Amino acid sequence: MILLESHSVIINDVLTDRFEKASRADIQFVDYDNVRFHLSTPETKSKILLSMGIQCWPDLLKYGAREYLQNEYQQYLLPQEQTEPEYDVSLMIDLEQLPESVEDRNSLISKLSHLKSVAMSSPFLSAFQEQSNLQAGYKDAGGAQQKDFTSEQSAETKGELKIIRYREEEAIYIQASNDRVTVVFSTVFKEETDKVFGRVFLQEFVDARKLNALQNAPQVRYSNREPPLEIRHLPGLHNGEDWGYVTFVLFPRHFSNPTQAQSTINRIQLFRDYLHYHIKCSKAYMHSRMRYRVAEFLKILNRAKPEVATAEKKTASGRTFRTR
Amino acid sequence: MSNTLRPYLNAVRATLTAALTLENFSSQMVERHNKPEIEVGNSPEVLLKPLIVSRNESEKVLIEPSVNSIRLSIKIKQADEIEKILCHKFTRFMMMRAEGFVILRRKPLPGYDISFLITNFHSESMLKHKLVDFIIQFMEDVDKEISEMKLSLNARARIVAESYLSTVSCPI
Repeated sequence: MILLESHSVIINDVLTDRFEKASRADIQFVDYDNVRFHLSTPETKSKILLSMGIQCWPDLLKYGAREYLQNEYQQYLLPQEQTEPEYDVSLMIDLEQLPESVEDRNSLISKLSHLKSVAMSSPFLSAFQEQSNLQAGYKDAGGAQQKDFTSEQSAETKGELKIIRYREEEAIYIQASNDRVTVVFSTVFKEETDKVFGRVFLQEFVDARKLNALQNAPQVRYSNREPPLEIRHLPGLHNGEDWGYVTFVLFPRHFSNPTQAQSTINRIQLFRDYLHYHIKCSKAYMHSRMRYRVAEFLKILNRAKPEVATAEKKTASGRTFRTR
Repeated sequence: MSNTLRPYLNAVRATLTAALTLENFSSQMVERHNKPEIEVGNSPEVLLKPLIVSRNESEKVLIEPSVNSIRLSIKIKQADEIEKILCHKFTRFMMMRAEGFVILRRKPLPGYDISFLITNFHSESMLKHKLVDFIIQFMEDVDKEISEMKLSLNARARIVAESYLSTVSCPI
């Protein structure tokens, strides 16, 4: 398994099961980036309450997450006052009022299991919206003063810098400008090994784009120690050996239609998890290799021990000893 | 095999074979003690001249013989940061299993990556030429293993990056 899935397998499985046959549930589970879920049936078996606690909820609210969720989940989303305590979003699914056809049910399950990625996508979508506004405005300005390239055109128009603190120390920064959307990830490598491996991986991300097949992929840049220029003015950024900053430059073609935009968002928001997952995987692989190699060395060393001849011992009358 | 590795390993093999003439020797200081003299080090008359076989400045072997024990320390080639990490991990992994490798020392000598301590009891219970074979085999394989691990890390990183970027890329 190379790629991570953007939906929650647990939600998917449990709901598929419950849609067939209603039964009690009280499951708490987690997802990447300290996201907590609680799936329960507080009143009756047929009413499933799905709650999500997400660390960057205040940030997401600022960028219209609530409205976006309302739009996506409509009647399932519970109002703010009825949200389960200690969680940020609650959905109520009434099993007696499910859509009739199998396809509709399946698409509902898939929509519900994407709860986390839907909640996280609101800032991306608003940045994409902002970009298209900026682009429109930019074209108008350019059309009005076709000849005058010096003042207006050289000054890039930039949207608001959106910050999502999705982990304790790490954040995603999103900025729209007239021809692109820049997404910057800050990530921390807690261990020396992770740091070195992380650098190898990130360098490959930069190099892989040179392949012909991947020319259309977003541009990737990475810097360690120093944050990139887009976010350098922000207070509280860390400069140090342990920090890595990864910049993705998304062009309008990456979010030209809603499906394309959603799949780009689903991938991009899992980037940090993907990177760290593979760093851990390669460490595990190294470990198993070392285990094998050490066993081989041990075999070579044991060859140095002379074999003790185990001749059968017999008594004078020809009987053999048996060791018990 | 590169043309400098062969003479280097031959020199180590010859030196080690010559130095592995160990005999039982009880402590002169403490009654009923029988310790590896090279580790105790308080009777200089039983220690022999240490010798360094060096291939280049980053690869060398220090052989310290004494009357009843010999200490062999290896410095492994580390060209860059990744190799340094891999080498450190690998030697640490081995030294944590030192009781399995009876001749392995739990800590390397300062300035070296891994140390072996062969006492007269080891050379009595094991075949001497096979012990030397093991050391030489180890020196050959450890370099190979580290460069293979480095290659596999790079290959993995490449695959990971490509498969990620191919999902976010889009046709024009």
